[in-house]
Amino acid sequence: MMLFVLRRAGHALFLLFGVSILAFFFSALAPGNYFDEMRLNPQISADRVRALRAQYQVDQPMTVRYAHWAGALLRGDLGFSFTYNTPVAPLLWARARNTLLLAGIATVLVWMLALPLGIWSAERLGKSADVALSWMSAALLIVPDLTLALGLLVLAVRTGWLPIGGMVSVGFDEFSPVHKLRDVAVHLVLPVTVLVAAALPVLLRHVRSAVAETLEAPFLRAAQGHGISRTRLLYRYALPAAGHPLIALFGFSLGTLLSGSLLVEVVMSWPGLGPFLLEAILARDLYVVIGGVLLSTLFLVAGNFVADLLLYWVDPRIRAEAPGR
Amino acid sequence: MNARARLLSAAILLGALHLGIVCAGFFAPYDPAAQDREHPYAPPMRLHFVDAGGQLHLRPFFYPQTLRAGSFDEYEEKKANAIPVKFFVRGAPYRVLGMLPLRSHLFGGDLPLYLLGSDGYGRDLLSRVLFGGQVSLLAGLIGATMTLSIGVCIGAVAGFWSGWRDEALMRVAELFLALPWIYLLFAMRAFLPLTVPPLKAFLLVVVVFAAVGWARPARMVRGIVLSAKERDFVRAARGFGASGAYLLRRHILPETASAVLTQAAILVPQFVLAEMTLSFLGLGVPEPVPSWGNMLASLQHYNVLVSYWWMYLPAVAMVPFFLGYLVLASLLQESSGAAKIEVARSGV
Amino acid sequence: MEPVIRVENLVKRHAGRGPGRAADAFTAVDSVSFSILPGTTLALVGESGSGKSSVALCVACLERATSGRIWFAGQDAAALGERELRMVRPRIQLVFQDPANSLNPRWTVREIVAEPLLVQGRIPRSERDALAAQALGRVGLSAEYLGRKPGELSGGQRQRVAIARALILEPNVLILDEVLSSLDCSTQAQIANLLTELQRSYGLAYLFITHDLRMAVHLADEIAVMSAGKIVEQSTPEQILGGAQRPETLSLLVASGINGKPTNPVLQR
Repeated sequence: MMLFVLRRAGHALFLLFGVSILAFFFSALAPGNYFDEMRLNPQISADRVRALRAQYQVDQPMTVRYAHWAGALLRGDLGFSFTYNTPVAPLLWARARNTLLLAGIATVLVWMLALPLGIWSAERLGKSADVALSWMSAALLIVPDLTLALGLLVLAVRTGWLPIGGMVSVGFDEFSPVHKLRDVAVHLVLPVTVLVAAALPVLLRHVRSAVAETLEAPFLRAAQGHGISRTRLLYRYALPAAGHPLIALFGFSLGTLLSGSLLVEVVMSWPGLGPFLLEAILARDLYVVIGGVLLSTLFLVAGNFVADLLLYWVDPRIRAEAPGR
Repeated sequence: MNARARLLSAAILLGALHLGIVCAGFFAPYDPAAQDREHPYAPPMRLHFVDAGGQLHLRPFFYPQTLRAGSFDEYEEKKANAIPVKFFVRGAPYRVLGMLPLRSHLFGGDLPLYLLGSDGYGRDLLSRVLFGGQVSLLAGLIGATMTLSIGVCIGAVAGFWSGWRDEALMRVAELFLALPWIYLLFAMRAFLPLTVPPLKAFLLVVVVFAAVGWARPARMVRGIVLSAKERDFVRAARGFGASGAYLLRRHILPETASAVLTQAAILVPQFVLAEMTLSFLGLGVPEPVPSWGNMLASLQHYNVLVSYWWMYLPAVAMVPFFLGYLVLASLLQESSGAAKIEVARSGV
Repeated sequence: MEPVIRVENLVKRHAGRGPGRAADAFTAVDSVSFSILPGTTLALVGESGSGKSSVALCVACLERATSGRIWFAGQDAAALGERELRMVRPRIQLVFQDPANSLNPRWTVREIVAEPLLVQGRIPRSERDALAAQALGRVGLSAEYLGRKPGELSGGQRQRVAIARALILEPNVLILDEVLSSLDCSTQAQIANLLTELQRSYGLAYLFITHDLRMAVHLADEIAVMSAGKIVEQSTPEQILGGAQRPETLSLLVASGINGKPTNPVLQR
């Protein structure tokens, strides 16, 4: 068991290492040196530019710079934001929290909807209820995120039922705790709806097909013959057996918690990592961009790692393979 | 209908949609860049068949819209003046496929007719949607072609020659797959010059797509090549003295054809969406060239969102294409009976 | 008479993969030697996993032997580079077990049978087609089969196409790797008869690989029994039937249900 965990962890670390190199070299290769642009900016003195250049060791060979940067990275120092004039890490973290809130709630909702609906669908495979659900899900699938997000915004504007974007209303700080909670919740409705609508059709289809395949398996009929109740049968027998593809998807859900909601955040003005990164990109705020990309990659890699661990735990076939394989 | 007939119908319908976009110049009444300072943010105009006196006309007509005196975005219809819609009118020049110069348009009128309304510069939205489709769809098609080409090459090399090449290439592919797709897209785009002329921006976007998207097709092709390599007819051909290139060309790559085609049907809409996203956020094709994405950018302004709802319409333009490609992809998957390839996962 | 092909101490070792490499490695062919006289058949008989297919692939130069020599046409084929091998290849051809796998299902019979000509040299299309029709004739198929695809043919017909393809370059040696195993009994007999006839007409040497000792007894001039990568017994069919020495041979005898008499009346000898 330990060996497996170590192997997967090593793999994950290798990926992170590789990505960090990629990210670093991308930045170093960027045409239009940031410092050259800064020099053109009359507000920043030549001395300051020189000091910054020295600090970032721009004139050193690539490997030295990378070592320096990687070392700082391991200490949790993600560099300095030129736009905000503060260290990158706390900035990213503040924004990442908002994204995690949004994406976390959306992910929980999607799975809470997809699992029972998918199982229900799989039980009634081919019958009218299943077909209807498939059609509705297909209709959702066809509508791209951008269209849906903008459409809901337009709707919100014309009906005035929901706030149009943002995370909190004006005067949030003076609200009572309950009011605060309600305010955030109300602001969450639109973006969460878009995220759920975007992810539900695909997840539903996978749950449905995975469970449908398992429901046909002989071992399940045998269990049925033993007189086990329907619910227990579905959730304790069928679902785990259908687990493999679903766990992989779950790992993916986890992994994309930070990155999947970028567009929705921008459209709905949700103060998360997405709009922040976009701003940084447009402002050429190098270290913010790299930090953001690394952070979301970390999540992706971690998500897959968790999925691997879960798979190992759930699927005895993986455990049975030769150790270390 | 049997599977083949269904596939053919889907392909034909999709082709017809594309043809409409290719002939955007003909179906669009106006030049997409032509500004009309007297009609900024004009709402969609309606066609009528029955006039004020209750009389039915076979030829549709419309009432010209003018700005209400004193306001800057309120319009009223001048019912006194009924303008008939003319068909096959001679209008602004355009080129089909950049080559054939024509001036004929499907419909038009003596006074401005904005079926989908106009934008802040008075440019006809219908025309812009049609021409914008050219940009967005082309980005998707070229991007998908490039991605698949790179993916096939790399997958073939990795699968056929195995050994260290395979290891190295697949590790790199894993790296690319570990990065969140959309972030990678943005980051790559960001590290390239930001303000570029439209053509260069378009090419940049396409190149970025190819650079980001090759890993998944490469892995898929590699798998197919690996198993095809072991087939006895490939071994037999080796037994006659066939070279590696011959084997790849005549036996192995044809095995990848249906999987690659299915991937294409999945990738094109994904890349069209990606172009829309990039342009919407200002990182893609810039003004004044219309693309479905950058036309939606104005919706980020509150007042546009509130008052000018027709500016949302370009977002809907994509939907029939999306539907077409999705249907095509699932029909292709069915007919090839291939292994499950994940369909359009949002945020891939 | 000089043997047309002589194999000396052929060894094929498979390396293991991943961690635990050493434990995984195994020797598929452990120093095998034999020779075949022109116009005769050597049968290589053994159970699955005995290494006979590996021998076939190595002798056909489709896989590199770990060590050993393959004397053919005065050269050691095992030591040749790819380029020189190309000259030698036409003379040693391999027919595979499963024609469903060895014929490209998307190609027509014409393309399949003519493929070796296409690969080997610049022969114009019309000539290739003529030669293909000829090759089909040799295996008893009419020219109308040229336009068909493997999917439209029966197992026996497919195997005939495979044999026609192998013969089109006029080889001296045919390696027949379990070519009858995927066919039903009567078809087996027909193909076996075809092979015998072809051998008589063209003086081909056969390396006949099988797990069916009965077939071997009928077709071969000499039988070599393989087990765990080694040849454990080698002699004529009469000697094997008369008094088999090795337990492996005995179990093969029992498995093929031989009691000394041929059981398939359609078989000629």
